Amino acid sequence: MAKQYDEGMLSDMLPIYYSRHFPQSLFCRWLSCGNYPQPLANRELSFTLADDVYLRYLSISNQKELQTLFQKKCPHKLDIGPVYNIKPSIGRHDAIVLARELVFDIDLTDYDEIRTCCQEANVCDKCWRFMVIACEVINTALKEDFGFQNILWVFSGRRGIHCWVSDHDARTLDSPGRTAVADYLCLITGGDNQNKKVNLVGDNLHSSIRRSINIIDKYFNIIVQEQEFFSTKEGLSKLLRVIPDETLRKQTEETLDKLAPSSLERWEAFIQIYNQFCKHNNVRKIKYLIEEIKIQYCYPRLDVHVTKGFNHLLKSPFSIHPKTGKVSVVFKPENINSMKLDSVPTIHTLLDDSAKENTQHEANMRTAIKSFQEVVFLLEKTEALRRKTETSISLDF
Amino acid sequence: MDFKIKRKSTKTAVVGGLLESYPHDLQLYKIPPIEDIALKEFETLALERLTLLRSLATATTLKGLRLYSEEWIEYVLSDLRTQGLKYYVKLCEKTDFSTKEADLQARRKDHIAHFILRLAYCRTEELRRWFVSREIELFRMRFMTMTSDAVDTFFRINNLCYTNISEEEKNEILINLRESTHHQNIDNMKFYKVKFYEVLDLVKTRKVYLKGGYAYVPHKDFISVLIAQYRIHLRQSLAIASHHLSEVEQDERLVSLLKGLHQTYTGNNYSDTKAAVPIETLDSLSSKSFPLCMRQLHEHLRTAHHLKHGGRLQYGLFLKGIGVTLEDSLRFWREEFTKIMDLDKFEKQYAYNVRYNYGKEGSKKNYSPFNCLKIISNTVGPGDCHGCPFKHSDANVLKNKMKGYGFELQAINDVVDLAKRGHYQIACSKYFDVVHNSSMGLGINHPNQYFEESQKLKGEVKIEPKTEAKQSIKPENNAVEDMEFDENF
Ligand code: SF4
Ligand SMILES: [Zn+2]
Repeated sequence: MAKQYDEGMLSDMLPIYYSRHFPQSLFCRWLSCGNYPQPLANRELSFTLADDVYLRYLSISNQKELQTLFQKKCPHKLDIGPVYNIKPSIGRHDAIVLARELVFDIDLTDYDEIRTCCQEANVCDKCWRFMVIACEVINTALKEDFGFQNILWVFSGRRGIHCWVSDHDARTLDSPGRTAVADYLCLITGGDNQNKKVNLVGDNLHSSIRRSINIIDKYFNIIVQEQEFFSTKEGLSKLLRVIPDETLRKQTEETLDKLAPSSLERWEAFIQIYNQFCKHNNVRKIKYLIEEIKIQYCYPRLDVHVTKGFNHLLKSPFSIHPKTGKVSVVFKPENINSMKLDSVPTIHTLLDDSAKENTQHEANMRTAIKSFQEVVFLLEKTEALRRKTETSISLDF
Repeated sequence: MDFKIKRKSTKTAVVGGLLESYPHDLQLYKIPPIEDIALKEFETLALERLTLLRSLATATTLKGLRLYSEEWIEYVLSDLRTQGLKYYVKLCEKTDFSTKEADLQARRKDHIAHFILRLAYCRTEELRRWFVSREIELFRMRFMTMTSDAVDTFFRINNLCYTNISEEEKNEILINLRESTHHQNIDNMKFYKVKFYEVLDLVKTRKVYLKGGYAYVPHKDFISVLIAQYRIHLRQSLAIASHHLSEVEQDERLVSLLKGLHQTYTGNNYSDTKAAVPIETLDSLSSKSFPLCMRQLHEHLRTAHHLKHGGRLQYGLFLKGIGVTLEDSLRFWREEFTKIMDLDKFEKQYAYNVRYNYGKEGSKKNYSPFNCLKIISNTVGPGDCHGCPFKHSDANVLKNKMKGYGFELQAINDVVDLAKRGHYQIACSKYFDVVHNSSMGLGINHPNQYFEESQKLKGEVKIEPKTEAKQSIKPENNAVEDMEFDENF
């Protein structure tokens, strides 16, 4: 049995972790590339220290400085900010933000009204499936629709995932641009006072929505069974509240109530009722109801503020989550399906040779670093290529 | 910017020159005017354009009309007629490229007035945003009323040439174009391929097909490309203008005119209040004098002892605006939050935000409470209960809420009906009348204005707002963007 994680031990463990396990060199290369043409020193880092002292506007010019800073301050939390026109420590509040990766933050707490297995800070492999869908949907859209290539996926350390897009067009996208991308990808809107949070309009479904639904469909039946969305009285009434047509709602309620509490059976019955209903009624308003429900229950729930803000600070890859001790590992989107929360490396297991999971965690850490490496290499390659064409274009004039 | 202002009018307009400068009703305002302008004309033109921009804003907010809808355009035109601004009616109603003297004169005024307002509106980010939004609405409205002949001429005059994609390329993605373009019968339409960031408005609303970073824009939507470029041009020009203000403002009278211009109009932004409202009165105030958006936040806070970030911001700034002191505010939030968390957590994670709202942390700006426009257009997500309840609630949720408040059924139905039709601020005004048993029919554009009106009605207001703010539309507030950081990682 591994030793229990103890937050109080962090201050002793972190210095070792930062110098032995944290991929400092890759980290600097990744950030430098994302900074171009500004120097690495113009990138803001922020630290939260043991006693919750919060330091903003830090920066480093090379790996050596990073190492020194780590040893001197031993941050319990490490966040990455934007690239400024000058060194952030000098500019502080007056510095101007020039660039910033396009970032996405998906957190399972935003699924609390949907998931039935856990609430709040808790996660399990069942609700992790929401992250699997989210990752696939967003990753595909970023690549196919927006043409981005340099995409880094990171486990947030507790109950969510982060995505960093470093393509030049993404980094230099202005605030309206970020807002537009976020809104394009965000299908679920509305607060606690709105039950139906997805409203698809128009004569056709946009290609990207159709594609997302195809992705959801791969997992939908499994997730319905795992989550048992509609088996309880409460779950059922949640579904009913999303149905805008009164007659259809009544019919659904009467039929489903009598069925066994299997969510999948109930769902299939609902589809039948719906299809039947559509044959005999004008269905303009509920034309996409099935799709809307699937989206409401499974589509990624983005924290759009993080994406829209140009200068939002976001937790760094490979930092340690102070509450769980877990490493914010980088992963390949195609592997998220096989990712198990238990096998995410933790700082205490990495530092303890005798821990039972030590070998496995070390191996997983290596895989994570390798995935990171691949992204960094690709980024360096595309950047070099871009700069070359950029100079040749400017020479033409 | 190259204005020379003459004290006395020197009318020397040459018609031949005018035609050359102003071949078309619609302009991109690339070159500033260089002629001499009398101060009197300067002033008149500025005020007239302000009236124009203001009527665009009124159509959307106070009248609750859908942007660019027929009713919206109709309202703007009739308002301009009432105000006697015939030349703007002409420019907006039938935008074309005639050579009539009167039309040329109208274009000249349009040109000069636009540049004057740049000087008045380049001063703060808040003003710039308001100005850019209105000018873009104006531009789009005028573009919409053009005949296709006029459109072609406009493109030719401005050297806007784009080549459409080939039939082959189009056929390859025809299915996707059909699915993802929001027009019927796209088979005969020409399509243009532009980078996705050139048509953000289409991307945002998912009205265009995207592939590999490119947007496939049908001929009909090409205006979006134009608008995007126009927006960038405007923003840059405003930035430049703000750097050259001091050169322009050699003349004292000009300075006061330009500065005064937006003050006559913007009114109170409720960022400084002298009243002191004790937090013990909030429960009673919330039911008597708060607009529903704030009442609902207050009630949620009292029952759940927590509000998410958006709610804390919206409600926290409002409280500041009605006169809750920083100390009281901290106490208020602390008392609620510590019912579900320990004090330590509150002090570490939330107290900062409260102080921030009061300009005591971070960039130390004195943030203004949000106005209705901002609240209505805010994003509201799962778990959130901020925003405007008339927009961000299902009809039956809204209905039940008001039933719970004991309103009469008829009144409830009236409010819900207005909300359903998208007239959120009018619904709010109706709600005001129901609560106060009045029939004021106020134009609500700010929750803090709602509050003040309510207090006035109850005869409880002691302080006068610093500037007269009645019926004024205010520029969107500064987004409080730089204060957000990862709170629940
Ligand atoms: S209209 Fe304005 S004041 Fe009224 S509820 Fe909505 S946001 Fe609040
Ligand atoms: Zn779970």
